[in-house]
Amino acid sequence: MSDPFSAALRALETAGATFGDLRKEDRRAFAVRMANGQVESVNEMRRSGWGVRAFVDGAWGYASGTSGKASDLVAAAKRATAIAKANAAAGVPKTRLRGIPTGTKTYRAAVRIEPADIGGEEKVALAGELCTALAGERIASTLGFYNEAEQRCELANTAGGRRTWREVRVRLGAQAIAQEGDRQEMAIEIKDASAGWEFIKTLDPVAFGREMGQEARERLRAIKPPAGLQTVILDPDASGLLAHEVMGHASEGDEIVKRRSFLSTVVGKRVGSSLVTMFDDGTLPGGHGTIPVDSEGTPAHKTTIIDRGVYQGYMQSLETAGSLKVRPTGNGRAQDFGRRVWVRMTNTYFAPGRDAKDDILADTKDGILTKGWISGMEDIVGGGFQAVTMSGFLVQDGEIAQRVRGMTLTGKALAILKSVDRVSKEFAMQGGTCGKGEADDYVPVGTGGPYMRAKVVVGGG
Amino acid sequence: MDLLDLAPDAVKKALAAGAEQAEAYAIRYATRHVYMEDDVPKVAEDREETGLGLKVAQGKRVAFTSTTLARASDVPAAVRTAIRGLAQVPEDPDFAGLATAAGRGEVAAVYDAATAETGVDGLLEGAQDFVRAAVETKGVSVPKATFRLQAYAQRIANSNGIDASHRGTLVFGYLTAKAGSGSDVGEGIVHGVRPALRNLDFPELGRTCARRAKENREAETYHGKLAGVAVLDPEEIGALFLQSVGAAVAGQNIQKKRSPWVGKVGQEVGSASLTIRDKPRMPGGILSATSDDEGAATKDRTLVGAGILKGYVADTYHARLLGAEAGNALRRGAASLEGAYLHPAENAVSNLVLEPGVKSLEDLLAEVDRGVYVEKFAAPELNPFSGAFACEVRNATLIEKGERKAHVKYALLTGNFYDGLKNVDGIGRDLTPVPTFYGSPGCAYVPPMAFAGFELVGQT
Repeated sequence: MSDPFSAALRALETAGATFGDLRKEDRRAFAVRMANGQVESVNEMRRSGWGVRAFVDGAWGYASGTSGKASDLVAAAKRATAIAKANAAAGVPKTRLRGIPTGTKTYRAAVRIEPADIGGEEKVALAGELCTALAGERIASTLGFYNEAEQRCELANTAGGRRTWREVRVRLGAQAIAQEGDRQEMAIEIKDASAGWEFIKTLDPVAFGREMGQEARERLRAIKPPAGLQTVILDPDASGLLAHEVMGHASEGDEIVKRRSFLSTVVGKRVGSSLVTMFDDGTLPGGHGTIPVDSEGTPAHKTTIIDRGVYQGYMQSLETAGSLKVRPTGNGRAQDFGRRVWVRMTNTYFAPGRDAKDDILADTKDGILTKGWISGMEDIVGGGFQAVTMSGFLVQDGEIAQRVRGMTLTGKALAILKSVDRVSKEFAMQGGTCGKGEADDYVPVGTGGPYMRAKVVVGGG
Repeated sequence: MDLLDLAPDAVKKALAAGAEQAEAYAIRYATRHVYMEDDVPKVAEDREETGLGLKVAQGKRVAFTSTTLARASDVPAAVRTAIRGLAQVPEDPDFAGLATAAGRGEVAAVYDAATAETGVDGLLEGAQDFVRAAVETKGVSVPKATFRLQAYAQRIANSNGIDASHRGTLVFGYLTAKAGSGSDVGEGIVHGVRPALRNLDFPELGRTCARRAKENREAETYHGKLAGVAVLDPEEIGALFLQSVGAAVAGQNIQKKRSPWVGKVGQEVGSASLTIRDKPRMPGGILSATSDDEGAATKDRTLVGAGILKGYVADTYHARLLGAEAGNALRRGAASLEGAYLHPAENAVSNLVLEPGVKSLEDLLAEVDRGVYVEKFAAPELNPFSGAFACEVRNATLIEKGERKAHVKYALLTGNFYDGLKNVDGIGRDLTPVPTFYGSPGCAYVPPMAFAGFELVGQT
């Protein structure tokens, strides 16, 4: 840890912070977008800065900046402490932190081929290859994009804890827009991992592009799905949304401390059928939400949220662990150096079951199979579920029938989980970005699960 | 040294390093953030950041880079990265040069000195006013409310001689309240965005949030289907407008054929009562400025006039390709300035203003024979290509013969928003600014509106 940081830590203590830490980040990213075979943008980004936070009697103050001057860090430490003191004086209940990291540790990223070692030309060519493969009959517009992001972090706290780590993520995305007359239909998919270029090398951009092009064309033939309560086979994308948006957000420890979550009093109670098991796992190899440690320095952890239908527990930061008198779970995450820590998910998913997907289909007389996702929204207080799928299929007499347009799935989450009667052994994860209830505070996450059959309200299309 | 002065310096250095053209965008923003939790100020932040986005061109090759700007030596490093980028990109046959004419002066009431000078403590006062008003309602608490204030200044320079400066202030709130306890609870959510702190009525926001929480708690699970008139609040309409109209008129989407409005200039896209303008010169507009974020002069323009599509919005690059006027290259978000320098500018609407009618919300509701009034969706989202949407309602009230009846929840309002634009049943008079849901450029100014053709689908 560099000297300016030591001086700022001393300033935190001198100013009266009962705990404080400093986080420094250096981020580098490279992004290519190619549309209709032409470069739309090639962007190499660098963003560096530091953030100081002070804890005083249950309240937090944060100050951050980008200068490298020691005096600026010390001034920020004093400012953060003053803010925390002012908040504490406004009546914040006293709380204690639990599991504060101590000692010194360095974590290496599991990267075999550094993305930065691959020339930009190769990345541009990759996006171009994807664009070419996307093009075809009735395809009006194509978009191929590649992103890599690397962040190096240093953390030091007033308890003597020191952590350094690095996170590396890559992603390749393809979008096709098919058109017939006035009707446009879009298909998009992103393949991503916490990994280096070696992940990209496992992908076949030609097959990926052709698949997305064909997917968009097929959506031109899709009909409106039936509305109302339906038997729905949630694909891994949709089951992942249910895991993340409702059960995941409502299992974040800060929502429990505030008693805002509809899951605040359900530990040990049945919340789903016995086929339902759910985890948040920051250690999942390659997962988009995988992290070595969280933004407070706590190692990533695999947390059991639901075990065979029975609710087990919550995700925690240092503070919520202190309030709830449990251990922190490595879920105290911040968007970047300037932002506060919240309790956030990492990779959240339902565990696979024992059924074959085809057996679930064969066993479904009349229902809907979802395909792909667009978005979802949490309802921490009410436990409602809203997820928008990309597409789907009618299932009739055990077979896939007509393609249907993207739809919205809704209902009460616990009613949906209690209705789950078949769970596949096939399982998949998707990467994404999660906000915490407003237009900001995004962190990389993974969501996923198996195919799950349940009763869900369907609308739209 | 003012780091914004490094923008023209970056242009000079890029040209000296071999670029034939260069454009530099520098922005500095200070952010104050207060997070209220369980009625008290749990967390507050004080942040500052300056950054640079640099575009360089050599012949038909164009590259972009961005960097945090902490010291003068960050500029040559960025120039080296950008020049190196030129060797990595193929020629773009459509590139014909950077912006040529900047706007002059400032738009009034975009920058508020009092807001810019407000610290965390000042923002906290507003936050506490909000909480006090919310908890006046019996059984209501504020588990989570976020208040953010930003003051920013930016400078754009390019090798065509453009040197445009702009400054502004932005106040944003994402506010929630909870009614009841245990499993018998309801939540109310309100967003607010304004250019000045004094423009946000914190006590009124608190009362609205509390009322929504109480009504959400009282709401009954809706069963069945209801086809009738749907009256929507500005916050929800604004988000849907930006995702549909905002995306459909963006020059980049038109040129890349990603818009359902390609080739539809002169055609009917809405009811005759529908007139929509992009107004970057509107005094007090969230995204108002005399120059856009690549330095081109802005201009108010009509996009939809009496239901007829009149034109698109574009940056300099796409304006040339589409035969349109430049002035709509945006990097600034309507809800936040954070990271504005990191990415190239987008073709985007600035202040997307729907021409208001003369009716109040109550007038609109009084005219509904059978329908639903939706104040809040879980997430106001639609498919920008087809216009299809199905949004879960969080605050909705059934309307019969002009009167409010039961509050309902666990239901979807479904329909097609592009069809809805052609079935406008009424337009209210009071405009509310609404930023994009995910913090991208674009701010809608819309009143409450009534639509025919949407359907409420409940648990059946």
